[in-house]
Amino acid sequence: MTPTGRHRSAAPTGVAGILALILIVGIIGLAFAGLMIAGGTSGFGGSWGYIRRLVLVSLGQAALSTLLSLILGAALALALARRERFPGRSLMIAAMNVATVLPPIVAVFAIVAVFGRSGWLGDLTASVGLDLGSWLYGLPGILIAHVFFNAPLAARSFLAALASVTPEHWRLASHLGLPPATIFRIIDRPVLLREAPGIAGIVFLLCFTSFAVVLALGGGPNVSTLEVAIFEALRFEAEFARAAILALLQIVICLALLLPIGTLARRPQQTVSSGVIFRRTDRDIRSLRILDAFILLAGAALIMPPLLAILFRGIAGIPALVDPNVTRAIWTSLAIGIPAGLIGTALALALADLSRRLRIGAAAPRAADAVGLVAIMILVVSPMALSAGLFIMLRPVINPLSVGLPLIVLVNALMALPFAYRQIEPPLTLAAERYGSLADSLGIGGMTRVRLIDWPLLRRPLIVAIAIAIALSLGDLGVASFFGTGDLVTLPVLIHRLLGTYRMEEAASVSLLLSLLVLGLFLAAQSWSGDWIARAR
Amino acid sequence: MLALADLTIDYADWHARYDLTVAQGSLCALIGPSGGGKTTLLHMIAGFVHPSSGSLTFEGEDLLPLGPAERPLSMLFQEHNLFPHLTAAENIGLGIDPRLRLTGPQRMQIDAALAEVGLAGLGKRMPGELSGGQRQRVALARALVRKRPLMLLDEPFGGLDPGLRADMIGLVDRLRKENGLTVLMSIHTPEDVAGIAGMIVFVDEGRVQAAGTPAEILSATGNPALARYFRSAPRAEGQ
Repeated sequence: MTPTGRHRSAAPTGVAGILALILIVGIIGLAFAGLMIAGGTSGFGGSWGYIRRLVLVSLGQAALSTLLSLILGAALALALARRERFPGRSLMIAAMNVATVLPPIVAVFAIVAVFGRSGWLGDLTASVGLDLGSWLYGLPGILIAHVFFNAPLAARSFLAALASVTPEHWRLASHLGLPPATIFRIIDRPVLLREAPGIAGIVFLLCFTSFAVVLALGGGPNVSTLEVAIFEALRFEAEFARAAILALLQIVICLALLLPIGTLARRPQQTVSSGVIFRRTDRDIRSLRILDAFILLAGAALIMPPLLAILFRGIAGIPALVDPNVTRAIWTSLAIGIPAGLIGTALALALADLSRRLRIGAAAPRAADAVGLVAIMILVVSPMALSAGLFIMLRPVINPLSVGLPLIVLVNALMALPFAYRQIEPPLTLAAERYGSLADSLGIGGMTRVRLIDWPLLRRPLIVAIAIAIALSLGDLGVASFFGTGDLVTLPVLIHRLLGTYRMEEAASVSLLLSLLVLGLFLAAQSWSGDWIARAR
Repeated sequence: MLALADLTIDYADWHARYDLTVAQGSLCALIGPSGGGKTTLLHMIAGFVHPSSGSLTFEGEDLLPLGPAERPLSMLFQEHNLFPHLTAAENIGLGIDPRLRLTGPQRMQIDAALAEVGLAGLGKRMPGELSGGQRQRVALARALVRKRPLMLLDEPFGGLDPGLRADMIGLVDRLRKENGLTVLMSIHTPEDVAGIAGMIVFVDEGRVQAAGTPAEILSATGNPALARYFRSAPRAEGQ
């Protein structure tokens, strides 16, 4: 089929991609070997009953978080889809977008500041003589925090799917005079049901591997996740064998979760339509207006107060920013986030290039897909499992904490890799699919081809990828805590410490600062991509 | 009689004004270049687009105050006539009861309509399992069970092969005669309706530029715009 030598002009050999592949597989393989060795040693301090309970609690809280997030998310999406002209709509959507990209530890602060004993809710109940106690710590706090992130995440995906319904369906609904119940049954519900498994899978995975929320709000050993338990076993108890077994379990479970997600995640359907806008026909029903108002109020009650808390308490605490510890944390965060983001993006670019060469140049789509799997390996080998494995492997050679900074950069780069890859690979492949034959026929090759065809299509996604990768690294608490020491403190680690010592004013101001840094990066990415964080996760 | 008088629409960059009468029980074909205003005309009659002035009546009844579903008409679009995740029978059933709570006799009515359009026994099929022509037959069956006296078709068979297209137009014409429908249909290929349509209307630049019998219009005498359209229009055998 393919004329021989047709694509030869496109191609030196993809050396960078192969090197990136070796590096990533090597690091993850090294960590995995460390886990296998340590997990096989006899020094396993802990009972299988403990591990079974831990796994069940992890899965249970994730299931509950997912269920609540999906119900609220679907309701919000429906209400927003029906209320196309409600005046607070763009504010609501912006708030949802912010909620999904806030660093988890910042969200933890915000939720403590709103729902905690010394927060707004606590002040309110105290004024009527009620003491909240520590109700937030444990399952309630974890659920609130997870729903705070993931209900907007789910709502955004559902809303995008609802908005992509063939517009002519609304013309037909209007023509046939379909009532709201029928519209829900035959238009909205199939869309929600089609999207739900994929969204549920992703939300479940995020909650199952949740670290910052569970560490800060878990309230001790009662409610934990494997991710937190690995961290505690290694850093607090020096139980290498247990940490390794937990990490291996984590890998197995994540793999079991990701396999169905991979098959469930559908490519967005391309619908051909006339481009004419036909409006929903169920906007003017009175009972639906009331229902939607109720849903939107409930959503706003969950999402808005924590965001306002970050803003107001953060502004009130600004004087606390003048502190050498804060200044140092800023520099540390930037010294980790920027190189991690750049390395993560560079790895993504190298892998995407290799994938494209395999897919188009060598007509080997399976090999190209396999390269894509390497890019998302960190989703299976979770950051904490990877960190634990590296820690165990390095320990005989060098004290891992003495090289904490480069290790944090490395793991953070791998954590950003899937997101960067998702930005870069599609346009890169598209450039070749769409213009490859034309470029070949015109004899455009080598650097000219990069300059004229790849770069114009890639420039924006590349900058977006860098911004997202840096923002994600800046928000990381887990790995920075794992390899951090008293001297190596990033902004999220600092917030966690301040929260742990109930210094809310300072926690507020640092949270605001970190939020602004991360949001600034996402906003920059938005203005470059035109499509907000829609592709960030 | 369907009557449009001075029916006007004003968009920022496009204006249209239609005057047209279509005799009761006849088949009237709309022709004209893309973007000339055929679809706008049909959408205005169907109630999807609201005119800024003018009048629109059918059998003396003013249609303008009525919502799309209340108007005495059924419409067939070129595509997206069916909900893809409902069976053919359910799609037809929406024309009987929009809540889709169907009684036994109503189900028999659906089966009869399916037979009427030549799809007997295919009620359980999903739209994706039907050919393009069969999908349009399902939409025709739904129009039948809705029992509305006026039928609008917006380039309904444009995606079909010439032979199939002739069959479908023949089916529409048979249904018109059997049910006493008034049919207004926009088409790409005027030759398809030469022996069938009572009237052909040439629409361009948001106006009815010419109207007459097929013989008059197809000979394109004396109208330069029409002659130009025929020189550039795709002919039935050419597609």
